[in-house]
Amino acid sequence: MKELRLMKGNEAIAEAAIRCGADGYFGYPITPQSEVLEYLMAERPYEKTGMVVLQAESEVAAINMVYGGAACGKKVLTSSSSPGISLKQEGISYIAGAELPCVIVNVVRGGPGLGTIQPSQSDYFQAVKGGGHGDYRLIVLAPASVQEMADFVKLGFDLAFKYRNPAMILTDGVIGQMMEKVELFESQPRLTKEEILKQTPWATVGKTPDRERNIVTSLILDSAIQEQHVNKLRDKYIEIEKNEVRYEKIQCDDAEYLFVAFGSSARICQKAVDMGRAKGIKVGLLRPITLFPFPKQVLFELADQVKGILDVEMNLGQMVEDVRLAVNGKVKVEHYGRYGGMIPSPDEVLLALENQIIGGK
Amino acid sequence: MKENLTVDRSSVPLTKEDFVSDQMVKWCAGCGAHAILSSVANVFPKIGYKKENFCLVSGIGCSSRFPYYVNTYGFHGIHGRANAIATGVKIANPHLSVWIATGDGDSMAIGGNHFIHIIRRNVDLNIMLFNNQIYGLTKGQFSPTTPQGSVTKTSPQGTIEQPFNPGELILGAQGTFFARVADTNPKMMTEVMFEAAKHDGTSVVEILQNCVIFADKTHNTITSRDLRDDHQLHLKNGEPMLFGKEKEKGIMLTATGLKVVKIGENGITLKDILVHDQYAQDPGIHLMLAKMNPPEFPVALGVIRSAKFSTYDDMVVEQIAYAKENSSILSVDDLLNSGDTWEI
Repeated sequence: MKELRLMKGNEAIAEAAIRCGADGYFGYPITPQSEVLEYLMAERPYEKTGMVVLQAESEVAAINMVYGGAACGKKVLTSSSSPGISLKQEGISYIAGAELPCVIVNVVRGGPGLGTIQPSQSDYFQAVKGGGHGDYRLIVLAPASVQEMADFVKLGFDLAFKYRNPAMILTDGVIGQMMEKVELFESQPRLTKEEILKQTPWATVGKTPDRERNIVTSLILDSAIQEQHVNKLRDKYIEIEKNEVRYEKIQCDDAEYLFVAFGSSARICQKAVDMGRAKGIKVGLLRPITLFPFPKQVLFELADQVKGILDVEMNLGQMVEDVRLAVNGKVKVEHYGRYGGMIPSPDEVLLALENQIIGGK
Repeated sequence: MKENLTVDRSSVPLTKEDFVSDQMVKWCAGCGAHAILSSVANVFPKIGYKKENFCLVSGIGCSSRFPYYVNTYGFHGIHGRANAIATGVKIANPHLSVWIATGDGDSMAIGGNHFIHIIRRNVDLNIMLFNNQIYGLTKGQFSPTTPQGSVTKTSPQGTIEQPFNPGELILGAQGTFFARVADTNPKMMTEVMFEAAKHDGTSVVEILQNCVIFADKTHNTITSRDLRDDHQLHLKNGEPMLFGKEKEKGIMLTATGLKVVKIGENGITLKDILVHDQYAQDPGIHLMLAKMNPPEFPVALGVIRSAKFSTYDDMVVEQIAYAKENSSILSVDDLLNSGDTWEI
């Protein structure tokens, strides 16, 4: 049965992990996401579903525990905040290289460096463009509500297993810490050993006489074979771009101007849309839900309809590069950002639209 | 060679006030870190170096706010990396007196690797290990020194992990200086910090620190008024290891290890009591002392080990000097005219 609860975004991540039948969570405390680990420890899922919860000695240890768990075909996840996610990048690159599924949650805080513990969206590049070394992509989901925090854990695992690729939930301190009503999905049991064997024939589950042994590795010394491997990854990313683009269009049908924003910035822009419309400005909002794959096509089409686009992010301007690539010069695209832990108000976002796009040249 | 590495001394006498910074101290009221700060401000003027030649390096955690509060140069680094950063500081500028403020999260967990390697190299600097047995800054998760069974935010049923005894780790990593003090005894802390400063090589002072919010009274079996006489052994070099309210108990070395004995009982006299030799090269007895724990033993406080070995920075400087003296190449021209530098 579906269940309604008032929860913090971080708690919704944790609860959803238990409910979607995750086998293990590995984490390390860092503000503003320590509640994920704390909630899981307090809930004792190991007594209910057998899910393992472990506080590692560092973020590096946690991501490598995920690497190990994922190699066994298990549903495993980790969460952290920006500085901790930087530490995980080596592991993430290896997991992507070895084509293993897992979910990584980044509750972003302002950087660079130790920065601040206040919310930010300054890890867009890191999540979408690489972060670790090598030619790889993460499936990146950007929740804009506590509801989506819960739902995207399940979606993240589904996509991760479908494509044998790590999925990242890119959220921030606003959504991690705020409380909202959540409709929790029904619990599903953890996979049995037989189901794992069937679903993940590549997993390191022990060799029986009827199957070859599996070796998980990201090392391919022969360049020609490594190139083939990267081609295989490329084909997978193309497939993901074809099938998995998700976005939300808000009041776009008659829009003359457009906000593009993800996550908490989109929530702010949603209010700015209402305020703009009240003033007679026909403005809409495109909210990318998947940051990779990026909703290029819909932006390309909207660019024919609107007179200008304001990209709003809590950073110096990162997603705006992808917006410009998608729009391909058809219409003016400007960036408005606050950063370092500052959060823009709907008024200032609307004012920015009026100054930079409507009144701007 | 040693002269090259000395730190410039202050020409005017400095006082505690010289080392107090203008920053508001943001530790909780009742936090043990206040006592450590006061102790450092007392010790630094006694050491006598110029203020600008002290450098305080920290990682992340409550302990790591330390550099803001001492009026010297400071470096607030990366979680767990203070020891690596400080190694860089000291090797790049051996003329600095380098001090590290770090905690049981910073140096025992995420930075455990750098911690053992700075000690193994014996870089000449001073580590203050704030051990409050909890992650304070992230609000109360267990750390690698949290006693087994403790209920914390991330161990609602009690931790199942074996904690580190930092002393064992330090001596296992070939530590040349290890001392342990409690935040309840600022006098001893100040004396020990001074000893640490004098030591050539990596000194580690473990401070049993109280976290008044998330692990209050965690060291109470050692520091509380009614238990401290029986549960603390104050080590003094060259003196017998006596403890108890009337110094009626002592530590004896037997064929199988250390033993607590009572003077006057079973023919035990003062002569049977082990005499502390902090300078012993062999760490065997130091390790036994570091491992002592109540209720069977008192906890050893004071300087447990202070052994003389070559320091990494001395050897780096020596190597460079040797290479300079013995190289036939003294300039770029010499190098260019030195003939083939490889063979095919």
